[in-house]
Amino acid sequence: MRAALERIYDILFALKEYALLSLLVIISLVLLSLNDNAQVKSIRSVATVVLGLGQDQLSFISGYFGLRRENELLRRVNIELADQANQLREAKLENLRLRQMVGLKDQSRYPLIAAKVVGKNLTLMRNTLTLDKGTSDGVRDHMPIVNEAGLVGVVVASNEYYSVANIILNVDFRASAKIQRTRVDGILAWDGKSLLLKNIAKTLDVSVGDVVITSEYSSTYPAGIRVGIVSSVHEQAGTLFKTVSIAPSVDFVKLEEVFVVTQTPDSLRLELEQKASRTLK
Amino acid sequence: MEQYFRSALVAVLLLLIQTTFIPYVSVWGYLPDIFIPWLVYVGLRRGQVEATVSGFAVGLLQDLVATKFLGLAALSKTLSSFIAGYFYNENQIEQSLGSYRYVLIVMLSSVVHNTVYFLIFFQGVEGSLLMSVVQASIGTTLYTGVISVMPMFGFSQRYHTSWAQ
Repeated sequence: MRAALERIYDILFALKEYALLSLLVIISLVLLSLNDNAQVKSIRSVATVVLGLGQDQLSFISGYFGLRRENELLRRVNIELADQANQLREAKLENLRLRQMVGLKDQSRYPLIAAKVVGKNLTLMRNTLTLDKGTSDGVRDHMPIVNEAGLVGVVVASNEYYSVANIILNVDFRASAKIQRTRVDGILAWDGKSLLLKNIAKTLDVSVGDVVITSEYSSTYPAGIRVGIVSSVHEQAGTLFKTVSIAPSVDFVKLEEVFVVTQTPDSLRLELEQKASRTLK
Repeated sequence: MEQYFRSALVAVLLLLIQTTFIPYVSVWGYLPDIFIPWLVYVGLRRGQVEATVSGFAVGLLQDLVATKFLGLAALSKTLSSFIAGYFYNENQIEQSLGSYRYVLIVMLSSVVHNTVYFLIFFQGVEGSLLMSVVQASIGTTLYTGVISVMPMFGFSQRYHTSWAQ
């Protein structure tokens, strides 16, 4: 018996590598078959905790790699948020402008048509605006254009969906206007450089800071619309008139929304005035 | 005794690196197995018995922190390190470690390891099992082979051997 055991031991020792391999493979296979065993689960949970502690100490490695990805993500989120904030700011400003315009609409004696400025042609001499409202919306030629700040211009051409307006800074633009304080009348005109109130005699009372409004002499523009403020008054030698420059109330650079005043010149009045003019000639 | 303690420490360190750092260096979804080059080192340096035991221990350690298949890494690493230990030659330890032979043995062990591992791991998945196993094995083996070039050069310098011999 003892000899047999020794013989087995010798064989196992001679093949110890294979014996060990067989033993470990069997243990592995047994473990594989015990995968849902409760004890195995508890051992694994302990191992996971221990590894977690180790990983925590080495987390700077993953932290470094994760940081780049996180940076990219944050940069993208930042761009999206900036875009949203920009949109909100735009909406807020538009809301403010529209509120002011609604206030104007409520006060107006004439029905107003709200229009967006879809094009600007600011070329110094003949400055025009293109509006997104046309004849299908009720816009007609010679209708005045205003906004909450004051007089903008007049419609000079229109089709079904769009219209073009001469702004007050246009050499073709003329309007009767007056100094609000002293009721001195003049003709509003743009000379390519300055907005002027023409035909103001040297003896009349006009000062820097006076408010200029449209006068009731105009057949096109309702009376009392603010035009601007007198910015300078000069008396030129050899003439009877003063040179009165006006700073317009409307900021044409920032202009985005306007109202078309649905008032057309009174044809009976125009007819009479033209007839009288011909008679006098 | 000190030698075993050092081995255990290396095993734990490699496990931490494998689970924290290695996932960030995946190429087309394939990850290298940094235990294989180490187990091959153990096999070539200390023989088949130590390599087999180390493979089993390291595999078991890996299984304990894995989410499923307890015993799978133990089985595959036991077999692969047994293969690695087969190339142990007491008279040519330094030459084996510091030459291209080391890389070839790593790749052979890796093929054995990955074939066994993925054959069981992919059981029950949709699609061709064989195709999945072949793809995963080749990808992982090549990547592991590539990273084993670094220790090979290290051994080559340390033992003053030519890696091309």
